[in-house]
Amino acid sequence: MKNLKKISKQKQRTYEGESDLNIENADMIICRCQEVTLKDIVQAIAEDATTVNEIKRRTRAGMGLCQGRSCSRLVRKILAEHTGQKFAKVIPGTFRPPVRPIALSTLASLEEDTDDKS
Amino acid sequence: MRKTEFAIVGAGPAGLSAAIEAARAGVKVVLADENQRPGGQLFKQIHKFFGSEAHHAGVRGIDIGTMLLQQVSQQKNVEIMLDSVVWGIFRANTSHTLGVIHNSKNIHLKARKVLLATGATENVLAFPGWTLAGVMGAGAIQTLVNVHRVLPGKRVLMVGSGNVGLIVSYQLLQAGAEVVAIVEALPKIGGYAVHAGKVARTGVPILTSTTVKEVHGKDKVEKAVLVQIDKNWQPLTGTERELEVDVVCLACGLSPLAELAWITGCKFTDVPELGGHVPIHNENMETTVPGIYVAGDLAGIEEASTAIEEGRLVGIAVAEALGYLAAGEAKDKKTEISSRAEQLREGPFGIARKQAKEQLICRSLSE
Amino acid sequence: MTLLKDGFFDPEELENLPGVPSKKRLIQGPVVVIECAQEIPCNPCEEACHKKAIQIGDSIIDLPILDADKCSGCGLCIASCPGQAIFVVDTTYSDKEAAIQLPYEFLPYPEEEQLVNGLNRAGEKVCSAKVLKVLNHKKFDRTAVITIVVPIQYAMEVRNIALR
Repeated sequence: MKNLKKISKQKQRTYEGESDLNIENADMIICRCQEVTLKDIVQAIAEDATTVNEIKRRTRAGMGLCQGRSCSRLVRKILAEHTGQKFAKVIPGTFRPPVRPIALSTLASLEEDTDDKS
Repeated sequence: MRKTEFAIVGAGPAGLSAAIEAARAGVKVVLADENQRPGGQLFKQIHKFFGSEAHHAGVRGIDIGTMLLQQVSQQKNVEIMLDSVVWGIFRANTSHTLGVIHNSKNIHLKARKVLLATGATENVLAFPGWTLAGVMGAGAIQTLVNVHRVLPGKRVLMVGSGNVGLIVSYQLLQAGAEVVAIVEALPKIGGYAVHAGKVARTGVPILTSTTVKEVHGKDKVEKAVLVQIDKNWQPLTGTERELEVDVVCLACGLSPLAELAWITGCKFTDVPELGGHVPIHNENMETTVPGIYVAGDLAGIEEASTAIEEGRLVGIAVAEALGYLAAGEAKDKKTEISSRAEQLREGPFGIARKQAKEQLICRSLSE
Repeated sequence: MTLLKDGFFDPEELENLPGVPSKKRLIQGPVVVIECAQEIPCNPCEEACHKKAIQIGDSIIDLPILDADKCSGCGLCIASCPGQAIFVVDTTYSDKEAAIQLPYEFLPYPEEEQLVNGLNRAGEKVCSAKVLKVLNHKKFDRTAVITIVVPIQYAMEVRNIALR
């Protein structure tokens, strides 16, 4: 972890002082549900994000309707590339129920117990 | 709260097969699927399958789907809940409870054993223009063309020459679209040569060491720019070429659809040969969380025919664990099923998956 | 290795396959040509052959081995191949023509006697071909077996047709 911090600190230094992140295709959207661009993600990494969860909290990537089903892998790739971690070691963000978008009213409509109190 | 002995999430080839085997032994099964009809991806597979007679070789996937549905409908012990979204899974002592939305109602389904057979999700490739209308996953195109009989466009660029890319190209041709080219980033074709041959002899060029650099269009795809790449995946400047297309189909592999499995807290490991992070499982397909089983693409990206065998294996293992099958009988059945699955993992295309599966089972022993 | 790069064989790659008959056998009359080069788990062709001319054995990844002397060129194995890699070639059809049976899954099917383009493995038009027969037996399960007649020099080249 220490090493990773170091790497991203270096990145941060590289990016400091630049008005925009000098990367190719910076405006390319990565998370289409939340319209998060490559630049947003690289910026988050430059500011020390080292996990998918950290990127999610900073940028909302993966917090849309599809819950990262498309972009999670892309975010992991970008993370691996920009932090020097192995792609396989970058785990997906934490999953929590509900794993599908459902209306809160539906969630609250729990079928009443009929024959079972357990 | 509803109760059952065995709850299955996903009515694709793995889920259906598990339901059939478990119910035949006497287990009470509830099979939940978020779609309006069961069968998973099988009903999009209009091509003939490989394998031997025991694997239904030479039979089209769609007909294998129909056969599985007939078999499951003969089982009185199986309740199929369609249009049912499983949104969560919770552990309670020795059983598990699923949160299921059905008919806009939230149902808690308690089961002693749970099989997660949720399948896979398509990998996307990001390039400038990839969010334009007309850039689609191969699975989405198969659904459109083979299930709903709608062509997504007239001129298609296929990205990826694995079996999915080759098969979907062929099916697009059958449906009347023009496949302008198939591009493959690797220096050689990824899928079976026979699938490549079927497409190549209709005149579709397969361009290896080539990828899509960007896609242009005002509101939708109008043009794709291809570029050749070297061994280190670096684009070779000056090799760009433009193709007029209205669809870019991404067939860049699949990843296990594992959200529910992650929520159970079962342990994962990354196995590139099996498509990424997969739940560690033993020879019964049981994960490191007792009572939670996995099968099919969630347990490692393979094919429908292996998913069927893995599902059967879980069905037998669950019947045994619940006391419906004696150990000896279960063992015989499991050996037979496993050897059928193993046959499908032989040869140059299967060996890496075979070894990866063996390592997974070894890992499970030490967890 | 054009097979893995382009998706089709060059002639040398083809000749060495155990499912491809010798040149000597090819000139003797109808015989099956199995263009199967990769060890994939598959054996329906073996089961489709009543004459036991195709052998794979217990290990279903093995390549099909053709016993060309047992093969009558009946073509029952053509539609059984999930990879559509089996053809029947008859170089004795006439002095200057060969007949080829090939699997075909595109609609509309050609009519018998219709003139079509003969395509090679790369999908290039190499000659004109006449459709002799269109078989769409129930057992073939929607893979039609089409017999075409081509100039004899294209017997081992034409592997597809295109309607004009």
